[in-house]
Amino acid sequence: MRLPAFLLALIAVASLTGPFAAHLLGGDPAAVDLLHRFAAPSAAHPLGTDELGRDLMLRLMEGGRVSLTIGIAAALAAAAVGTAVGLAAGYLGGWTDRVLMRLADGVIALPLLPLLIVLAALDLHKIGISRSLAESSGVSLMRIVVLAVLVVWTTAARLVRGATLVTKSRDFVRAAQSLGAGVPHILWRHILPNVMAPLVVATTLSVGDIILLESVLSFLGLGVQPPLASWGSMLSNAEELISSSPLLAIYPGAMIFLTVIACNLLGDALLQRFDPREPGRT
Amino acid sequence: MAHDQLTIGIVQFPPALNPNLEAVAAKSYVLGFALRPFTVFDADWKLVCLLCTELPSFDNGRAVKTQLPDGKAGVDLTYTIRPDAMWADGVPVTTDDVKFTYEFGRNKQSAVANAEMYREILGVDVKDDKTFTLHWDRLSFNYAAIDDFVLLPAHLERAAFADPVQYKVRTLYATDPTNPGLYNGPYRISEFVAGSHIVLESNPHWAGPVPYFKRITIRAIENSAALEANLLSGTINMIAGEVGLPLDEALAFDQRHGHDYNIIYKPGLTFEHVDCNLDNPALADRRVREALLRGIDRATLVKTLFAGKQAVADSFVEPLDAGYTGDVAKYPYDPARAKELLEEAGWHAQSDGPRKNSDGKTLSFELATTAGNRSRELVEQVLQSQWKEIGVDIRIHNEPARVLFGETLPHRHFDLAMYAWMSAPENSPRSIFRSDEVPTEANGYAGENLVDYKSPEMDRLIDALEVELDPDRRKQLWAKAQQLYATDLPSLPLYFRSDAYILPKWLTGVRPTGNQYPTTLWSTDWGEAK
Amino acid sequence: MIRFTAIRLIEIAAMLVLMSFVIYALIGLMPGDPIDLMLGADPHLTSADIARLKVLYGVDRPLIERYLAWAQAALHGDLGYSRLFLTPVAATLLPRLGNSLILMGSSFAIAFAASLGLGIAAARRPRTRFDGVVNLACFAGVSLPTFWLALILILIFAEGLGWLPASGTGGGENGDLADQLQHLLLPVVTLVIASIGGYTRYIRAAMRDALGQDHIRTARAKGASEARVVWRHALRSAMVPVATILALSFGTLVSGALVTEEMFAYPGMGKLIFDAVMGNDYNLALAALLLATAVTMLANLAADLAYAWLDPRVSYQ
Repeated sequence: MRLPAFLLALIAVASLTGPFAAHLLGGDPAAVDLLHRFAAPSAAHPLGTDELGRDLMLRLMEGGRVSLTIGIAAALAAAAVGTAVGLAAGYLGGWTDRVLMRLADGVIALPLLPLLIVLAALDLHKIGISRSLAESSGVSLMRIVVLAVLVVWTTAARLVRGATLVTKSRDFVRAAQSLGAGVPHILWRHILPNVMAPLVVATTLSVGDIILLESVLSFLGLGVQPPLASWGSMLSNAEELISSSPLLAIYPGAMIFLTVIACNLLGDALLQRFDPREPGRT
Repeated sequence: MAHDQLTIGIVQFPPALNPNLEAVAAKSYVLGFALRPFTVFDADWKLVCLLCTELPSFDNGRAVKTQLPDGKAGVDLTYTIRPDAMWADGVPVTTDDVKFTYEFGRNKQSAVANAEMYREILGVDVKDDKTFTLHWDRLSFNYAAIDDFVLLPAHLERAAFADPVQYKVRTLYATDPTNPGLYNGPYRISEFVAGSHIVLESNPHWAGPVPYFKRITIRAIENSAALEANLLSGTINMIAGEVGLPLDEALAFDQRHGHDYNIIYKPGLTFEHVDCNLDNPALADRRVREALLRGIDRATLVKTLFAGKQAVADSFVEPLDAGYTGDVAKYPYDPARAKELLEEAGWHAQSDGPRKNSDGKTLSFELATTAGNRSRELVEQVLQSQWKEIGVDIRIHNEPARVLFGETLPHRHFDLAMYAWMSAPENSPRSIFRSDEVPTEANGYAGENLVDYKSPEMDRLIDALEVELDPDRRKQLWAKAQQLYATDLPSLPLYFRSDAYILPKWLTGVRPTGNQYPTTLWSTDWGEAK
Repeated sequence: MIRFTAIRLIEIAAMLVLMSFVIYALIGLMPGDPIDLMLGADPHLTSADIARLKVLYGVDRPLIERYLAWAQAALHGDLGYSRLFLTPVAATLLPRLGNSLILMGSSFAIAFAASLGLGIAAARRPRTRFDGVVNLACFAGVSLPTFWLALILILIFAEGLGWLPASGTGGGENGDLADQLQHLLLPVVTLVIASIGGYTRYIRAAMRDALGQDHIRTARAKGASEARVVWRHALRSAMVPVATILALSFGTLVSGALVTEEMFAYPGMGKLIFDAVMGNDYNLALAALLLATAVTMLANLAADLAYAWLDPRVSYQ
């Protein structure tokens, strides 16, 4: 538990302080230097430079910022959506429950990757979003976050629904109901705290899944677009140069791997802490 | 070790092989082995006959100037199909095929890709089984070239064409691609596995020189890392230049394995440039455009990113072209002069950030190119970084090719756009420079003068050179057009793209043309070093 | 039970109809149309040609009209022609489906067999060193970006050592079985590594639940041999969650593995769907996606029915 948490914290700090570090080192991750392409590690460039002579370490920090932002933002958004759906389904029951859970089953059953490709390639302009907005770089990030949420929300929804079903028949909830507490109050005060633990686990795990998903989208050319770079897009860019400059691909790949495995291990450790009987799930 | 077969790797699997539906590079590469066009430009950029006996000219009487009812000049061209030309099922190639192809091309429901050419042909007269005359509605200097007129086998395809609307899915090229009667070249297609590979075998009815390789397999491998690995493991023998690795990847491959292969870099007709939308008030100022051009170090860019294998462009005509002149204004890297020009144009340097004019407007442009084209994305980031040095802010905004070419560029929603023009030898720049070729709603967004370049002098030069039959006088007109371009700078010339052919050392006779015709048209010259 | 199955089947049919419309609409919302794509490849096309081709390919009509025309034909068993390959959709799909079944089926069989062994072994020795190593390896497996893994395998085996062909299905020149197997090896290894971790953790968790259950303890107390306890009693109750992975994996047999197929130029369903979607090939994309969805949903139904059969406590009214 300590090791993965420490690793994650390290990666996060390194990524989020990227711009600051760049400023401190006097470098600019976007500064091209055609005369120093593929440079070996040196004092000026601790990890060397890439195919345009940009500092690889600064680029990795920058890429991490984008990857982690996508991963964390999408995981939190998915948790929020999933919680809302799960609470509604679990507490209200009946038709609401039926429809929402069928929807969740549907999403799980669908061949997701091909559908994501369709969604990732959508022309936002055609669905009435203004051209300038549809084409801004913030939207290309948002698009990936939305896609990730569409895939990931079901886990949280099912968890929360299950926990809500159990909790709502517990005595203290019934007592609160009989005292005339409103639905929002009950959900917020009595039910949500009880589902927090599994929700935290699911969200931690999904950060890793989303970073992997982003790298797949990048591989297919549907991820973040230059000049923005994520680990996934750095990796798929470096792919073509893998035999001549393998390190350009190995670093971002390793960063993805380390981050994802740290998320998974942390999630697993949290799970065991919250529920020692639980042998861990995938 | 003697090889009697050859396996070629390409990066894109061709769509259905009908030569007259949808032009795709991978398709023309494969069909180069199996179908003969009448005329092509060879590796010396000379027009030659492949399926015909001789090129029409006014001297040999096969070309006759005509007067059209509206007073314009037209031309009648007489061609004779080679007497020994045969489809690979033993049926001779005849004027019946010519008539059928013309009928197909003229039919408005036939889904023919390039209908323009058929509209220009007013009629076909058949003299006998082998000789026919085309009545053309215009006379241009390259009148003898009819390379897009690729014959379809009437004896097989006429039945499929019974319902013209359905032809695109009933054509035997789609339903029965291994039917030998569909091919008349040195090879015929003997196996066609969509998405994977195509096998060609020598055509028993081919009357020309017998090709050295009995069997040629073409494998499509889209991922370039996998393509290279296949080459190294010997699964494929070579990588085609026409539909192969992008130059920067070929260069990286060259560095590691160059000594094991024969790698040919051939500069071509693809002119990479940055279009400047002249409706943008800042870009309308010629000084700003010159500053932009002087602000980028094209020489170093070409030397480092492309190992000097592709040439810096000073104008839009390729150095190999007959119309080329080197005598144009040149703008080498000169950031100091670029800054001066911007100051003169009223864009003043700021203590931090990009330049501003006296109205407080920032000197900032959006630069667009095709998303996913790695080479362009790299160059684009170089431009962004170098322009930042002279105080120009660039926002990169890339789009998939089909959005860029289908929507953004025709509707002219751009400031700066980096892309390429593909041309042919001595190809008239009419659609890119003539003032009436600006895409508008009124003309259905046709035309490729995307920057809104309007120069009466350029219009006059284009009109004159298209109909100038005298080569020397034409060359002068070409030179003037290039000089005018280099003075006006409606777009910023970058470089001419090169293709990389990665061949085994024992393979001989592959001669890249540098024009749009694939090496495969000359596959009978291919052989093996002893 | 029959009623439950019938309702589910109706739901699946409704879902497919809904999906077909959604997919059609989504592809319609992608930038450009088939003719714009041709335009990009052929600078000779004039605007008159484009207008003519748009009418000819029917892309000038409203989306809903085109969809209804498609749906009507599809109900009569006519799936239309693929725009990319100009061949009937069914004839385009079938060979790709076959390839995918071979690739996904063999990877799944290997990964499943291996993870069954590993998962059970780990479940029987909880919190031992062995369990820990298996657990960590599983996490490593699920945390690898697939294309990175494929890239490294290509680098090592095909490029570095030159042992294996890196791509294709074999066949063609010398399509014997050994050749085909050789071509399958790298993609299968990639897929096995990528999926084995998830399966193993799932089976391990299910087995540990099962081993802790009352009737297992009873069986142990009665003196049943350890092997009998594991293989007879525990495995049977562990089969319920295992049926879920089986069902969920079934869909991938049909929808393919895009990344692996792309990396190894393997002509399977994943690549086909991707190309169809990107190439605005409505007919092909629809048929392939609907097939994948239908198979996945039917497999899920089968899994639900299997629960009832495997675990008498589950019943569906």
